Amino acid sequence: MGKCSTPKTRLNSPMQHKAAAVEPNGRDTMNFSPIEPGDSMAGLPERPAGKFVYHGGSRPLEGYTIKRAIGQGGFGEIYYATSDAGKEVALKLIRRNLDVELRGIRHCLNLKHPNLLALYDIRQDNEGDTWVVMEYASGGCLQDAVADNPRGLPVDKALAWFHGIAAGVAYLHDRGIVHRDLKPGNVFSDEGFVKVGDYGLSKFISCSRRSGQTESVGTVHYMAPEVANGRYGKEIDIYAMGVMLYEILTGRVPFDGESVGEVLMKHLTATADLSALAEPYRGVVGRALEKDPRKRFQSIAEMAAALPSATQGAAGAGMPPGKFTAASAAAIGGMPPPGQEKEVVEARVVDEEPILRMVQDSFEKLRTAWDEANLTTPVKVALLVLGLFVLLAGSGTLIPLAVMLLVVYGGYRVVRMLVLSGQSPDGTATRPTVVQPPPVAQKAAAPPRSSPPRSPPGHRGVDRAQARPGHGQRHPRYRHHYHPHEEAAMALVLKPRRERFAELVGSLLIGSLSALVMCVVVVLLISYHGAVPRPEQCAWLALMSIAGTWAVLIPSKFWEGTLGEAALRRFVMMLVGLGLGAVAFGVASALMVDLPYPRDFPEPSNYQLPDGFYLQGRPLAMAYMACFGTLFLLMRWWRQADPLRVSRLSIWPLVVSTAMAGVVAAAWHFPQPWLPMVAVCVAVSVQLASPWVHPSKRARPRKSRPRKSQPRKA
Amino acid sequence: MNPRQNDNFMLWVDAVGGFLVCPADEVTLGQPIRCDIVDVPILGDISNRHARIQRDGEGYLIKAIRDVRLDGRPVGRVGRLADGSRIVLGEGVRLVFRRPHALSGTARLEFDSHHRTQPTADAVLLMADACVLGPNRHCHVVCRDWTREVILYRHDEQLYCRTEGKFQIDGVRHENRGPLSRGSRVEGDGFSLNLEEL
Repeated sequence: MGKCSTPKTRLNSPMQHKAAAVEPNGRDTMNFSPIEPGDSMAGLPERPAGKFVYHGGSRPLEGYTIKRAIGQGGFGEIYYATSDAGKEVALKLIRRNLDVELRGIRHCLNLKHPNLLALYDIRQDNEGDTWVVMEYASGGCLQDAVADNPRGLPVDKALAWFHGIAAGVAYLHDRGIVHRDLKPGNVFSDEGFVKVGDYGLSKFISCSRRSGQTESVGTVHYMAPEVANGRYGKEIDIYAMGVMLYEILTGRVPFDGESVGEVLMKHLTATADLSALAEPYRGVVGRALEKDPRKRFQSIAEMAAALPSATQGAAGAGMPPGKFTAASAAAIGGMPPPGQEKEVVEARVVDEEPILRMVQDSFEKLRTAWDEANLTTPVKVALLVLGLFVLLAGSGTLIPLAVMLLVVYGGYRVVRMLVLSGQSPDGTATRPTVVQPPPVAQKAAAPPRSSPPRSPPGHRGVDRAQARPGHGQRHPRYRHHYHPHEEAAMALVLKPRRERFAELVGSLLIGSLSALVMCVVVVLLISYHGAVPRPEQCAWLALMSIAGTWAVLIPSKFWEGTLGEAALRRFVMMLVGLGLGAVAFGVASALMVDLPYPRDFPEPSNYQLPDGFYLQGRPLAMAYMACFGTLFLLMRWWRQADPLRVSRLSIWPLVVSTAMAGVVAAAWHFPQPWLPMVAVCVAVSVQLASPWVHPSKRARPRKSRPRKSQPRKA
Repeated sequence: MNPRQNDNFMLWVDAVGGFLVCPADEVTLGQPIRCDIVDVPILGDISNRHARIQRDGEGYLIKAIRDVRLDGRPVGRVGRLADGSRIVLGEGVRLVFRRPHALSGTARLEFDSHHRTQPTADAVLLMADACVLGPNRHCHVVCRDWTREVILYRHDEQLYCRTEGKFQIDGVRHENRGPLSRGSRVEGDGFSLNLEEL
């Protein structure tokens, strides 16, 4: 091997690991640096660049030199390294804060099977960290292969993977070892052989603090229901293989959710939707996914026998055709090699309605431009104020126009929904059977079929571009795999209650302050535009802005980190809105506020005001409640408080809030422009007050704190 | 070991892969026995010097020393390479030639068979002026989770790294661009890589 660059060793203070104080707003303040202070002429970097502790050239273990990082594993990072002689290995770092016991792994050290990733050794470095030295698999992992085939792999490749995994796991079971952590991220391809890795490691790391701690979301998709009860045997591996088989064939997992708890619940109670699979796969997956372990296949061999054997030109089971490397698989874009037809694949119907999508896309572009314009927050606020002014100036004509457009669009949407009434609950059109087992003879004879629904390479590039951070939420099937914020979201969900409460209190205070400031701004705008509001009106505005901000911040705090079910949240928010409306009425009455209709809005006498709502042209409690309730129902306010939103202060929510409030108020004949004023104050305050995790901090791993070990996405 | 005439180096990109980078206009492929004359050492059933790939202006040529097949047909003396060309050296060593970026002369050689280079690399980069790393398909190195492109380029025999924003080379902060040596480490927002001299 050639000479390496001067090895840069890590700052060797073990205390660095423990210095992981987390600020109340979720930001990780740890600032270890893998670079020696003397190297940096400009002083220590403000934050560590890159995600990995070690870099090429380091030698944490005697006899091995790290070349590069491979990725983040379940318990720590994995590196590609070579021994001094040139033998390539994978080094897995087990973080020292986890309870580490050597008992379980010793059994696994000497297992040998062509479909198992060999474990060479376990070593400790000078820092006290434990490293597992294991075989390096140069092909990619199954997770990458699935990601490159979002609609599922071709059947022969899928079977090749499956039978390889089955052979390895059968060997483990024969030796009395349950893998416990089977998932596509732990299955690799190496020169055409399937290698199952990470066996024995989940027992190795005895999470004695496991009670109350949950596995990271990545693992839980493959977890059998009985694991939650703590009593399980090798059937859990069969369950996991069922989940993996489903995922290999369809590109998605059978049970998915926005939070660990949700996925677990589905494992425990929901039945998987197997309609996308044809026989015999449907039967096999169905039996493997039985909730009762006694009803599943009792052995891997039984499960494998129920499937066709791997139909593959290359020798034997366990040989996926073509080489999957991280580079080549991604580069080729998942196109199967020539001579290999893709099986029946139907395009997925776009779940969103095209006009809405177009509008959203253009606003998305505007929003991205705004976010990437590198403006500081004060400049943004100034621009927003200006924009507000412009909007208010033109609101006389804009609002009726907007109402009309919305009504027309609403009608169109209803008609469309009726027409497409064959939809399944998740919004996709009925899918024709995705996978059909090919009779062997037919496959050999049939010429490659050009399947137009298969997305052409150019489009695939767009798909991947769309799956980048910020767009991740628009592609549900990528969510559990490549949600770039998954770790950050997990951290939010697992935040201790006290911290969450403290954050909330802080947010409420900041929110109140900014609400007041926004009120002043808005009042100034209004004054310029029309009559100066009277003091009691300003007071009403201020109080309602504060109340509105609180009304959004509090539920959002509990919904942090999870996406939840929109309909339920809207309902809750609507109730909150109704309450807010009642408060508004109360405040208005108490202060004896008169909310008049401004001059340039149409006079109330032009409209037939509903009797229960209005008395002598002044709104009653019902009107208040109706307005606030509708406003809170129609908008997803909690998204503005999401710590993982794209940017701290974003223009799109403000525009929408104001416009929506205007429309709602017009619909309920509420005096303008009071509702939009409240709405814009609330929107700005909520965004300014909510914690926000900077994107660069979202992908970084959080070091475990001394008292709690944080689960990690595997 | 005899000094090599070409300045090849390894590019290790964290969480992506390792790449053998050959900046020269002509590279020799062959067995790893003669490291001084072979730029792309391949552990395969081929001869010491089996073929040469030459960058000729904007195009690439493959010159067969031993038996080489290009897209199924034997190459007499010279063959022209295009994006997607399939090269077979000897009996079983199958390579794919790629030029993913329309504006760059840099090409990528990947293995279609299970053979490997020595030292193992995920692909060979025949670097012209610049090498683009990023999340898009047109990048020479596709880095799935990256949010931006990082470009390594040559100017006057010196290597540079260019990307948006701030990053560090060997601990020194740079913005938008900075010089590299053949043993440098680059760390930026969401990416890290290092070079290794061979």
